[in-house]
Amino acid sequence: MREKETTLYIGPQHPGITGNMMVKIKIKGDTVVSSSTHVGYLHRAFEKLIEQRNWLQSFTILCRFCVPEPDPMELTYARAVEEIEGREVPERGKWIRVLVMELARLQSFMLWYGGQSGSAGLYTLGQWSVGDRNYVLDLFEELTGGRVYHMFIWPGGVRRDLPKGFKDKALRTMDYLEKRLVQYNKLLFDNVIFQKRAQGVGIIPKDKAIEWGVVGPPLRGCGIKSDVRIDEPYEVYDKLDFIVPTFEGGDVWARALVRREEIKQSISIIRQVLEKMPEGEYYNKIPNPMKWKIPAGEAYVRTESVRGEVGFYVVSDGTERPRRVHVKGAAYTHAFTVLDKILPGQNISDVSFILNSMGACPPEIER
Amino acid sequence: MDNELLKEQELLNAITKAYDVKGNVIRKGRVEVFVKKELIPSVLLYVKEQKGYKHLSHVACIDWIEQGEFQLTFNIWSHADKIMLYVKTRIDRENPVMENLDGIWDQLNTYEREFREMFGIEFTGLVGEKEFILEDWDDMPPMRRDFDTVQYSKDHYYFRPGREDAKDVRKTLTDRTGEEIPDYATKYSREK
Repeated sequence: MREKETTLYIGPQHPGITGNMMVKIKIKGDTVVSSSTHVGYLHRAFEKLIEQRNWLQSFTILCRFCVPEPDPMELTYARAVEEIEGREVPERGKWIRVLVMELARLQSFMLWYGGQSGSAGLYTLGQWSVGDRNYVLDLFEELTGGRVYHMFIWPGGVRRDLPKGFKDKALRTMDYLEKRLVQYNKLLFDNVIFQKRAQGVGIIPKDKAIEWGVVGPPLRGCGIKSDVRIDEPYEVYDKLDFIVPTFEGGDVWARALVRREEIKQSISIIRQVLEKMPEGEYYNKIPNPMKWKIPAGEAYVRTESVRGEVGFYVVSDGTERPRRVHVKGAAYTHAFTVLDKILPGQNISDVSFILNSMGACPPEIER
Repeated sequence: MDNELLKEQELLNAITKAYDVKGNVIRKGRVEVFVKKELIPSVLLYVKEQKGYKHLSHVACIDWIEQGEFQLTFNIWSHADKIMLYVKTRIDRENPVMENLDGIWDQLNTYEREFREMFGIEFTGLVGEKEFILEDWDDMPPMRRDFDTVQYSKDHYYFRPGREDAKDVRKTLTDRTGEEIPDYATKYSREK
């Protein structure tokens, strides 16, 4: 029987989509023939708004560039401003920044557990991990005052020092999460449904990965060791002991394994930071923010987020407002060109499964 | 020569030897070259195929309205050298035309579609739907510096009937009910 080609719209209202975007796929039978991504449901003109605010006011916008993981955005912008201005960050400020980054990574991984298992039809794990994520958000609340959006990392350091008793509470949370991870992994990685669904699906060829702009866990899932934290160590990552896990295969399974190992590394980094953090100043105070001018200059700064590298191109023309802030998250390539290349030949039921493994985050695409 | 910047200087020398371009070593791991727009495809292909700069990390577009130019910056990373190369070019703002480059890196297609829509730069031969983020947009490309967001919203949107004066909500309510506004509530009021 001759099969008819049908167009199917996944999103913007669809349980399997990873945010406000649409993946338009053409299918023959159950097989995807071609795919194209459409955005425009979430545009909030953030980059334009930033141009109309002063250097510090931008922070209320920055954290909203990516809902599941706002902190890398703050850090990247702060580092870019510091690079243009030549502002030093006190040693303790750097350690607290790394602590915030790794806590952010941890809570974002917990959300990923929910998304990845939910798109395979395993709903229990999502309930567990999103519930346990609240313990990390509690730590954030105590440290920064906010649960999801923090606006905690500022040019020159961080806003506050660690509260009293934070170290013990954070260590207890890490112990608890480590125990829970064993249960998670039993439920997900030992599950034959997940194994069969994930293996050999959504393969990114190793020889094309870098050229296609693949970054982060998907790139490490192709067996390529690349991580901004070791390629261009920022803050105090060069003083910490951690490994960058890589797995061969380039499929959803390899990407999941990379994330499984990275969570363990994040917990280990948090423990090291809490133990080794020196005493001292945490904030190199900036002048009056309303009159704070940054010398003219340009800087491109990258940070490793859960989805891959986040890059900020910041331009100053010597005034109290940014001239231009151009943001690029991992999803900008992952959700467009890479997805268009790996979806053809896949089954319809695997589309949202692959989307979750690539970490397609629409607010990062249309800033 | 500073030994720390040896690799950076070597890269800069190789590019300046092959092409008539100028450049600088900014710091460790950062090199910039200024290229005429006609040479951009050739320089990008050279660094990608000959020098191993395979990862196109980012492309930025900046509107320098005072100088009548757009700036395009291609940020390319080499996993082997651990150097970020900035390839910068300027395009005339009055006639913003550039060659389509998505044959070199596929992901440039997405950037070009965005810049076409947000800055009005035409990429000759670019294939891809005209609408990327905006829908039915017939005004000036909105990321240009001379696009006035306040004026645009005044022209296109209106206040809800009864809210034209944008008064303090609490005052409108108390006028209606006759209640007194306590001092602490008026402390930061715009009406004061």
